[in-house]
Amino acid sequence: MDSPTAVTKRPLNRLLPYWAVFQTDFRQTLRSWVYRLWVIMTILGAGGSILYKVGVHREAGIVQAASERSGDLLRGLLAVSLGLIALLAVSGIAGERATVADAVLSRGISRHQYFLAKWHSRLAVILLTFVGLAAAILVAHHLLLDPDVTWLGGVVAIALVAAILCAVTSWGVTIGALSNGTVMGITVFWIAIYGGLMLLSLLPEPYPSPDRFLARLTVILRGEFQPTLLWQVIGSGVGLGLLAAIVGLIGFGRKDV
Amino acid sequence: MAEMDDGLVVETSHLTKIYQNRQIALNDVSLSIEPGAVLGLLGPNGAGKTTFLRLILGLHRPTAGWAKVFGKRMCPNAADLRRRIGYIPTNPQFPKGMTPISYLDYIARLFGMPRDSRKPKLAALIRAVDLLGHAGDPIAYFTPGQTARLAVAASLINEPDLLIWDEPTHGLDIEARRSMLELIKTLAAEKTLILSSHNLTDVDEVCNYAAVLNKGQLIFHGSLHDLKGRIRKNHYELDLEGDQKAITKAVTAIRGMKETVSALLRHRRLDLKLTDDTPNTAILAQVFQILFDNKVMLVSVRSVGMQTEQAYLDLVEKEENRGFTRLYQPAEAA
Repeated sequence: MDSPTAVTKRPLNRLLPYWAVFQTDFRQTLRSWVYRLWVIMTILGAGGSILYKVGVHREAGIVQAASERSGDLLRGLLAVSLGLIALLAVSGIAGERATVADAVLSRGISRHQYFLAKWHSRLAVILLTFVGLAAAILVAHHLLLDPDVTWLGGVVAIALVAAILCAVTSWGVTIGALSNGTVMGITVFWIAIYGGLMLLSLLPEPYPSPDRFLARLTVILRGEFQPTLLWQVIGSGVGLGLLAAIVGLIGFGRKDV
Repeated sequence: MAEMDDGLVVETSHLTKIYQNRQIALNDVSLSIEPGAVLGLLGPNGAGKTTFLRLILGLHRPTAGWAKVFGKRMCPNAADLRRRIGYIPTNPQFPKGMTPISYLDYIARLFGMPRDSRKPKLAALIRAVDLLGHAGDPIAYFTPGQTARLAVAASLINEPDLLIWDEPTHGLDIEARRSMLELIKTLAAEKTLILSSHNLTDVDEVCNYAAVLNKGQLIFHGSLHDLKGRIRKNHYELDLEGDQKAITKAVTAIRGMKETVSALLRHRRLDLKLTDDTPNTAILAQVFQILFDNKVMLVSVRSVGMQTEQAYLDLVEKEENRGFTRLYQPAEAA
């Protein structure tokens, strides 16, 4: 009986496994309570802040520059959101630890495809959401307060924040892929993020610090920035994200699931 | 449509898995599985059966040795090899919020099946496993039987050449278990199967090969017939009917035979052990003749030594009793 070794040529789309995991994870992330909490919290926080500033600007007559208020609000939202973003990123793979081997990785998908799909999906959800919310905040501030935000400044400021989020999300997904559980992964990641940010903020001026760059958002929003320095920061964020992905691809490809 | 590749479906050499330098789950397992074999993977809890299957699937990486599937080394990124495997885990878990249709569609996409081939296939499978009435229901509310049927459908959606089913009858009621065994028999005609099971009756019914693992070591690998034959004891149970005096007289006569090792009568059941020196058919012919001469009817006759369960238990016990001789004499069939 030799039929069981026959290689039957079946129609095959090699990108489909990647796309299936990407789509499923994208939908599930949008439906998760962590994501909903993050969006609701951001909308409520930003909405309240904008209403207050509009009141101060229009009723009290104290001029509120859109660039200043937007910069402060984006920094504040980023600091508060970081915890939930870390949770979303780490849970990408760690949250499926119990079922991923039997339900997904035992099928016709490689570890690399699975990791890339998860990484891209979480990155897409987090970046698209943050860019959307940040753009809405900038537009609202520009329309309702003293409009000093330039179009280019707005785009560059959002790109700067997105680059930082890209690095954070990528390392979150990687830590989630390499850790043995969601709780452990999140704990490690929170310590790394908040500890790292604190240490970087203690470094003197020539050294890069996300805190200092974010403090310059107000100036950047007005269109006043050094393109070289800015591209270095954005490049660093994207580079760190890519490094995280490479570490994750290698590590997850060698891990027992 | 089909091109042939020579050789074995599964081959392992010195396959060893040690978890974090703490637990030896599998120890130097070398075996091969030929095309068309239905291999029963047996062993007590913690013997390393699931570890072995996970290494075959590339879910775990071996600490030493290797596993080849369809002639190629299995590794975590060997998606092409897994496209030819259908797997059912012990307790199938499904992603949350899915229905049988969305789940099977997801699994088919994980195998890279384009829409034109996967949609008709999943519809046919849902019908075949009798889940048509529940095709749109959330899987979370399924009974164990429905879950098992869905797992079967998922393992067959890619038309695999090798099926790896880890305890497929676990938790099923009698009817579902019978249905599963019949399915395995049907599939065995055209596919290679590896069945991990605690239920030796199931293995006895559907498998033609067996591999026995004990504490991570392969202590037997060969045909099921060999497993049963290697510990044949010429041990039988005979249920008798007739006059009690006649039965007693017949048993006394049987005890008097030089080939009889022991003949114990409990009520109307005769526990008979014979020597291995003479062909068993010749001795049994004499036994039946004595029963006939004494007008004793034979209700049933059962070979105790030939049961897979007995063979398995004896094999494990023998391995346990070997003690440190394992250092010098490797397991007989491994």
